[in-house]
Amino acid sequence: MLRFYIEVARTAFRRQLIYRWANIAGLITNIVFGIIFSYVMIALFQVRSMAGGYDLEDALRYVWLVQSLVMVVLTFGWYELMLTIRSGEVVSDLSKPCDFYWYWFSREIGRSCYYVFYRALPTYLAGMLLFGFGAPLDWRLWLAFMLSLPVGAMIGIAYRFLFNIAAFWILEARALGTLATVIALVFTGNYVPLPFFPGWLHTIADWLPFSGLMNVPAQIFLGKLTGLPMLLEFLRQSLWLVVLTLIVRAVTAQATRRVVAQGG
Amino acid sequence: MQEISSDLRLYRHLIVMQIRGQMQYKLNIVIDILTYFAVTGLEFVTMLLYFVPFPTMLGWRVGEVAMLAAVTSFSFGIAELFGAGIDVFDETIRRGDFDRVLLRPVEALILVASSEFRLRRLGRMTQGILGFALALVLLHGVDWTPLKLIALLIGIVSGSLIFVSILLLGATMCFWTVQTTELTSSLYYGGREMLSYPITIYHQVLQRFLLFVIPLAFGTFLPTCYLLGRPLPLGLPVWVTFLAPAVGLGFASVAVWVWGFGVRRYQSTGS
Amino acid sequence: METMIEAEGLSKSFRIAKRRPGLLGGLRSVVNPQVRIVKAVQDLSLLIKRGEMIGLVGPNGAGKSTTIKMLTGILQPSSGTVSVAGLSPLRQRKELARRIGVVFGQRSQLWWDLPLIDSLRLLRFLYRVPEEHHTANLDRLRSMLALDEFIDTPVRQLSLGQRMRGDLAAALLHDPELLYLDEPTIGLDVVAKARIREFLLAINAEQGVTVLLTTHDMDDIEMLCPRMLIIDHGRKLYDGTVTDIRTRFGGERILIAELNPAELMTLPHDADGQPIVTELPAGVRQVQAESPRLCLNFERDAIPAHELVAWLGARHRLRDVTFQEPEIEDVIRRIYEEGLLLQEDEASMPA
Repeated sequence: MLRFYIEVARTAFRRQLIYRWANIAGLITNIVFGIIFSYVMIALFQVRSMAGGYDLEDALRYVWLVQSLVMVVLTFGWYELMLTIRSGEVVSDLSKPCDFYWYWFSREIGRSCYYVFYRALPTYLAGMLLFGFGAPLDWRLWLAFMLSLPVGAMIGIAYRFLFNIAAFWILEARALGTLATVIALVFTGNYVPLPFFPGWLHTIADWLPFSGLMNVPAQIFLGKLTGLPMLLEFLRQSLWLVVLTLIVRAVTAQATRRVVAQGG
Repeated sequence: MQEISSDLRLYRHLIVMQIRGQMQYKLNIVIDILTYFAVTGLEFVTMLLYFVPFPTMLGWRVGEVAMLAAVTSFSFGIAELFGAGIDVFDETIRRGDFDRVLLRPVEALILVASSEFRLRRLGRMTQGILGFALALVLLHGVDWTPLKLIALLIGIVSGSLIFVSILLLGATMCFWTVQTTELTSSLYYGGREMLSYPITIYHQVLQRFLLFVIPLAFGTFLPTCYLLGRPLPLGLPVWVTFLAPAVGLGFASVAVWVWGFGVRRYQSTGS
Repeated sequence: METMIEAEGLSKSFRIAKRRPGLLGGLRSVVNPQVRIVKAVQDLSLLIKRGEMIGLVGPNGAGKSTTIKMLTGILQPSSGTVSVAGLSPLRQRKELARRIGVVFGQRSQLWWDLPLIDSLRLLRFLYRVPEEHHTANLDRLRSMLALDEFIDTPVRQLSLGQRMRGDLAAALLHDPELLYLDEPTIGLDVVAKARIREFLLAINAEQGVTVLLTTHDMDDIEMLCPRMLIIDHGRKLYDGTVTDIRTRFGGERILIAELNPAELMTLPHDADGQPIVTELPAGVRQVQAESPRLCLNFERDAIPAHELVAWLGARHRLRDVTFQEPEIEDVIRRIYEEGLLLQEDEASMPA
């Protein structure tokens, strides 16, 4: 069965390769936003040199890291599952001999891998070229980062799955999805880096699952989380992954029951 | 002249028809508008968080940046509302529906522009208005003069015109290929984001770009500077603010001209 | 104006760029494109007078839609001239649009989410029809097409037949002089088809609307169109009447003879127990034998009808005899498959 899921992931990866030009256009968007936020940071840091333990270079790297990772972790406007629910295709999907969630999970893992190579890397490199900051050379940092990022991606998959599957019960699931995405983005530092949040809001954000999407991997990458605090954050991240996955499984079971009862 | 007025009347009728069609689902519309308001509002409020650790952005205080962002948002919202048909033109071409447009005794652009009208965009416009109110509170009011009001209003309208023109340029590209719609998005949404902050924070090249190439700055930044009594970028004289309508119309004319070029290309090569 | 459509040497070629695979291929396609030229329409000339009802027939990909697009101003011809209602379709597109109506069988021109009546009312502004005129037309079309039962239903919820009637009304509200119909009866049931055909005959006879009808349904042609055009591979193969085609190319006719059942039993039977007529004359073959009837196909050239009747009558007592013309579809198919018209052209050319 595992072979099947791996194949699903591979197919999803390969399918993304076809949308070459769309990806380039999206890459340009990411870079444009990276540029905008960089200038915002430069302007802000004229007034003080450190904030939330970050200096300007840290802030620039954070901003570009977020732009690089956003498609890997959250894939803006992903409504594929919702579309199959609307069209009724999902009924036949649910009766396939594979696990419904792991099927979609594998697809998205494949897609995330694509975005790591074809979006994240070029975006961050563009940032490095344009604004002259660097990347960490410490292999331990990279290791920690490469452990944390997949967890973030998996949280993202579970989260997207949840607000898509809401379409089973709610007619206006799409609007809800947009709101859900924006909330997640706010609390993972996409608009304003999480380290800049005022104390009380920072605490709230730390306990939400969204921090684990991009903020935690980013902080690790920047070397701001090391040793015991890093381990604890990693634990918190993984805990959220488990919780969300459990919720997803429960909701999927409910949906399956509903489909079986209603016949689609 | 008579053709233009009857074309506009037609446009109004088509829009009204769409609104009526959508109003059948009143609850959905309200939820849609509220959700979009929440989304745009959340983005707006989050931006204000910058000013907790940092008191100013290149000398601009939180109230001033809030005002700039609100005005840009409102102008953008108008464009989103009226430019929806142009925004989804790639779908129209993909479905092969453009032939039908050419079979009508009307300028193709009118039909395309009126093909979609999403009431939910009102959510962003509401956010713009409320954001503006919040900015006024943060600034403890602004010294209003009639000229300032005029500058603001013509700026907003010109800004919308330029945003819609960007969409039109993107739609024209669809006559050649439908794969690059995100390129337009980067200019369209990117433009909005860029204009939410004082353009003086950007590299000189970008500032000139926003003034002389895609003149979005004329739409919201210059009027806001004028409103707040701040100097214009690049040392431009104050009266330049009032060139907004000319700039907006000029840019729009270019976009319409390029569109005509695209339609003729469609007619010579099929889809 | 007597002439409705006049086209001379119309041609349309498309340049299709070959896509090369891979990222480098994409770049190479821009710098050094490999194109192949597809000739969709070649040297087409036609003359259609006001008030005619004409059928346009041809296999898929023959160039029918491309021709219609050139006639309506959607597409620019590569060469040749065309004038519709005295106007140039490309240069005077909007003016011409006001005088024509178009109905696509598969895609509606109506607004999907709105009730039919809203679409029909909206068209008044689109075509700038004076209010009284519009109301009069609307009333007339409502009764001719029996729209009232579903006129308040959103178009999206209409059945195919209802939607087609709606589309027809929409196309005729502004009193067009010329109506293009693309597969108007496709997917409809027999009753609905009959209704549409009646309607078309009525508007052609009563209002003199010129009708150009593309179809794969031969019944449409036989019942509606005195004149038909056959297009294949972008060329006009035939321009004439339906009966003419049948006589020239419908090489076979069918003789249906009714025998006394006892008489049929006296015939030798084949392995399936079917009666066989033996020693048939050349060019005659048996198609079917179902008591009390016997069907024989015979080639016109091989044996005249009366001779065949005489031959059969000499062998068996005939109770009744009728003849059937070949199906026009079979005729058309033979023309496509065997390139009959092209052969004729070649035969008639000087050696």
